[in-house]
Amino acid sequence: MLELSHLSKSYQQSDSSVIVLRDANLSLNQGRSAALLGESGCGKSTLLHLIAGLDRPDKGEINFQNENWTKFNEKQWNQVRRSQLSLIFQQFHLIPTLSILDNLELQARLCQRLDMDFRDHLINRLGLNDLLKRLPQQLSGGQQQRVAIGRALLHQPSLILADEPTGNLDENNSKTVIKLLVSLVKDAGSSLLMVTHSSSMAAHLDEQWYLRYGQLEPA
Amino acid sequence: MEDLKRIGLLFMVMESHYRRHPLQALFLFIGLVTGVTLWVAIQFINEHARASYLEADQFLGAQATHWIKSKDDTGIILKDYIKLRRNGYRQIYPVLEVRLTSADQQPVNLIATDLLALPPIDRGEYRDTNNWQSLTQFPFQAWYPASLAKRLNISTGKQLSLSSGISLPPALIQTRKQQGERIFMDIGAAMTVLNRTSVSYLAVAGLSDEDAISLSRLLPSNLKLMTNEQVLDLSELTQSLHTHLNAMSLLSFAVGFFIVFNAVHFSLRIRTQTLTILQEIGVSVRSITLAIAVETLLLSLLGTGFGLILGYALGQALLPVVASTLQNLYGAVLDHHLILQPIVIFKAWSLTLLGLVLALAWPLWSRTRQTILKQRELIVEKSEDRKILKRFTLIAFGLAILAMLMYPSLSTVTQWFVMLALMLFSAAFILPVLLALSLSALQALLPEKSWRLRWALSDGWAQLPGIRIALMALLLTLTANVGVDTLVGSFRIALTDYLQQRMSADVYVQTKNLNLQKLLQSPGLENHHLRYLVTFRWKKRKTLIRGMNTQAPDMLVLPIAESDPEGLESWYGNTDGVILANEQAQHLSGIKLGDHVEFDTPTGLHSFKVVGFYYDYGNSTYEFYLPFDRVKQYWPKAELQPHIAVWLKEEVDPESILLDAGAQPGDWLYSNDILQVSLSIFNRTFAITAAMNVLTLAVAGIALFASLLAIHQQRLPEYAHWRSMGLKQREWLGLIVLPLGVCVLITWGLSIPLGSLMSILMIEDLNVISFGWTMPIEWRWEPAAHLLIITTGIVILTLVISLTQVRFRLPQALKQLGGDNG
Repeated sequence: MLELSHLSKSYQQSDSSVIVLRDANLSLNQGRSAALLGESGCGKSTLLHLIAGLDRPDKGEINFQNENWTKFNEKQWNQVRRSQLSLIFQQFHLIPTLSILDNLELQARLCQRLDMDFRDHLINRLGLNDLLKRLPQQLSGGQQQRVAIGRALLHQPSLILADEPTGNLDENNSKTVIKLLVSLVKDAGSSLLMVTHSSSMAAHLDEQWYLRYGQLEPA
Repeated sequence: MEDLKRIGLLFMVMESHYRRHPLQALFLFIGLVTGVTLWVAIQFINEHARASYLEADQFLGAQATHWIKSKDDTGIILKDYIKLRRNGYRQIYPVLEVRLTSADQQPVNLIATDLLALPPIDRGEYRDTNNWQSLTQFPFQAWYPASLAKRLNISTGKQLSLSSGISLPPALIQTRKQQGERIFMDIGAAMTVLNRTSVSYLAVAGLSDEDAISLSRLLPSNLKLMTNEQVLDLSELTQSLHTHLNAMSLLSFAVGFFIVFNAVHFSLRIRTQTLTILQEIGVSVRSITLAIAVETLLLSLLGTGFGLILGYALGQALLPVVASTLQNLYGAVLDHHLILQPIVIFKAWSLTLLGLVLALAWPLWSRTRQTILKQRELIVEKSEDRKILKRFTLIAFGLAILAMLMYPSLSTVTQWFVMLALMLFSAAFILPVLLALSLSALQALLPEKSWRLRWALSDGWAQLPGIRIALMALLLTLTANVGVDTLVGSFRIALTDYLQQRMSADVYVQTKNLNLQKLLQSPGLENHHLRYLVTFRWKKRKTLIRGMNTQAPDMLVLPIAESDPEGLESWYGNTDGVILANEQAQHLSGIKLGDHVEFDTPTGLHSFKVVGFYYDYGNSTYEFYLPFDRVKQYWPKAELQPHIAVWLKEEVDPESILLDAGAQPGDWLYSNDILQVSLSIFNRTFAITAAMNVLTLAVAGIALFASLLAIHQQRLPEYAHWRSMGLKQREWLGLIVLPLGVCVLITWGLSIPLGSLMSILMIEDLNVISFGWTMPIEWRWEPAAHLLIITTGIVILTLVISLTQVRFRLPQALKQLGGDNG
């Protein structure tokens, strides 16, 4: 279970301070998926970055499966990012010089959790069979995002954080990718927290949360 | 094991960049290898030169400190030689010099020695076996220099018949310049063939003053120990060559270092995205560092390996230039095959590794201090670049302050080089700041309507982070070029003037075969200058007192550096108690005009007032001029110098007068010949400097090229975006070329005052503490102009190649921009 308690975060901008999160709370049960909605610049991505340990909160706690991640040092965070959670970004974040297959397998190999059967299953489901030897820039946006999803799922993490994964895709591609993502997450028994500004995309997920004025509210 | 697997996987991810961009990898590798190559080549030559000096020191007595000769000039019997060796004087070796006449009446000189008796080198070790073998010969063999063999019409295996009916052993054409235009033989064979029972003299190497006294006591009454005064004065020029090689070696070290730094900096910069993604998926900075360390180690080994091979080849190619210089200066045997010294290999690898580690240390350290999100921003943030520039400014000022603090207390050549390095690096670090300020200032000065120019100048900000290290290397190279060119040019003019002034006689004749009285009474003789020479040690250095005829023609225009006019007049008037000193005595022993110097003479302790200093280029000793009669007054047993300067009447044939007076061919030298030889030695001495200057510049060019190639590749999507906005190719080229041109021009402009400052410091200070001589600075525009042309050529070539690359890849980038990933 993911639980955010009284999370606060502000940034210093020249002479003023911008409050992004103010005493924000959220809980997401294992195996559930949630969409995080809100206006542009309201702090959705910041929240995701805090959960992934890419940034540090000013106050509050992030608990996952009874572990307080906010107390973790960099080494523990690395361990978490390597094996317990996965990140999916709008810009795909694939390594441009590795083949599609290498990109897919990278995180699973790093945490030594590469299951070849599951890999083949994922490749089939993602429709990447004919693209494995190509480089990321030789693929379309939708195809690249499917590779990013595959990489995020192959080591079967407990939590997946997706930051506007369909932001770069057209509507049809977006629907396909989201359906695939939700379905694969369900198969893997992982939790998914996805940032999006699209209500129609959010509707595919189990829960919807809104971020307004630094606080989280269920839809 | 798990960790090792992870590091292996990460290494594979990191090197995938080079697999996908082979051209970029190739040029980064070329940059790395050329940096090492250049440095290694100089190191090889340097070490080889040092070895040659040691060899020359002991070979054939060219640099023997003393000679043992018979008082009646009848030679030395072998029994006396063996007795001295048995008394522990292993540094004594026999030399036989004979003048022969060939069957067709051509004069031939022969020199022979016992190679097995040559003394140990300074460190108390015999030279290495291979080299030793290269010097030995079959006893019955005669070595002919190629030119002599040609003159005598002798080829390998042929025997030279002498007028006496004797035939010399079979010939081997083997040019070893220190044997001069002479046949060289083993002494045993020579004595047998020529039916000799005595040798000409014994040469003694490395004899201390104390040993000289005890050796004198051991000598039979018919022998005398004398100081070797025929050491070539120009030998000091080898030190000059050595100093320049050292300077060039340091420069190539610095440029090589920048290139290595540049290469690694780029490899990290271009892979920032990959590194950040790896961190996002849970790879620790420690693991990334280890993977990069593996890559670094491999790069350093590859760079060193290839650099050594190419450096050896380059050193071998440049060696003849240095070799001919050393042979002419020192009469040294120079093996034409470089030896691969382990120390050079180790130093080369250390240099590469140091550059790589330093280049990695900063980005990796800053990575550990920043969050992953911050690292993403770093790629594009201009403000972060400003922070780097601030750091550069601090480093530049720090180095400059350190150099200034060092300046007043500099006393050794090494300290001077350290100070020069601090100064150069300070300038190199301030360069990116100056470039950024200049771009901003130019941008601000441009009117609103010149939007294209403003855009181009602002694009300089995008280019600067990528090219600044290459430009820093370029600045170092250009500065050193301007500095060294000015130094060499100034020295050339000073030396030419000095030689022309000093070598004013028509002929210089050795007096050993000469009937001096006959020559002096010859009606064709216009003037002559015969001098006394006294040698002793003063202030821990070899010191000469020359007794000069103050009215001789070459004394009337003495190359005076500083004098007290009244005192100088009294010196010319043979006044007692006044003396002239060379610049070396002034600068290295610390005496000043008007000071008194005291010498322990056979007639007691005498004090002389220094009334002037004269230029004395190429001399390593302290030297003083006293009027002829005064030397005889204080040193009654002073001997005349073994050569005489002769001025002849215009219509006279010098050879006939000299032959009439008993001189033999080869005993005299024309002043013009000496001048030409000296200048050609000078040219050869500095030919290597010029070659290294050009090569260092080429290396800086490669660094710039590699940087530009990487930048353009990185900015390809940006260029595609510009083209998609309708930017014409010409406009696009202008945008890229203008800021680069401005940066290169500023770099070149800065190198002129900096190079001039460097030359001033080298001429006014470094030269003085190195050699004790000064010279006027001759600044010329030509070297700077040549450098601008060369630099522009390099930049144009670089641009043409890298922009062709970009053009080739641009259509693909445009397709990607349009979403066609087909």
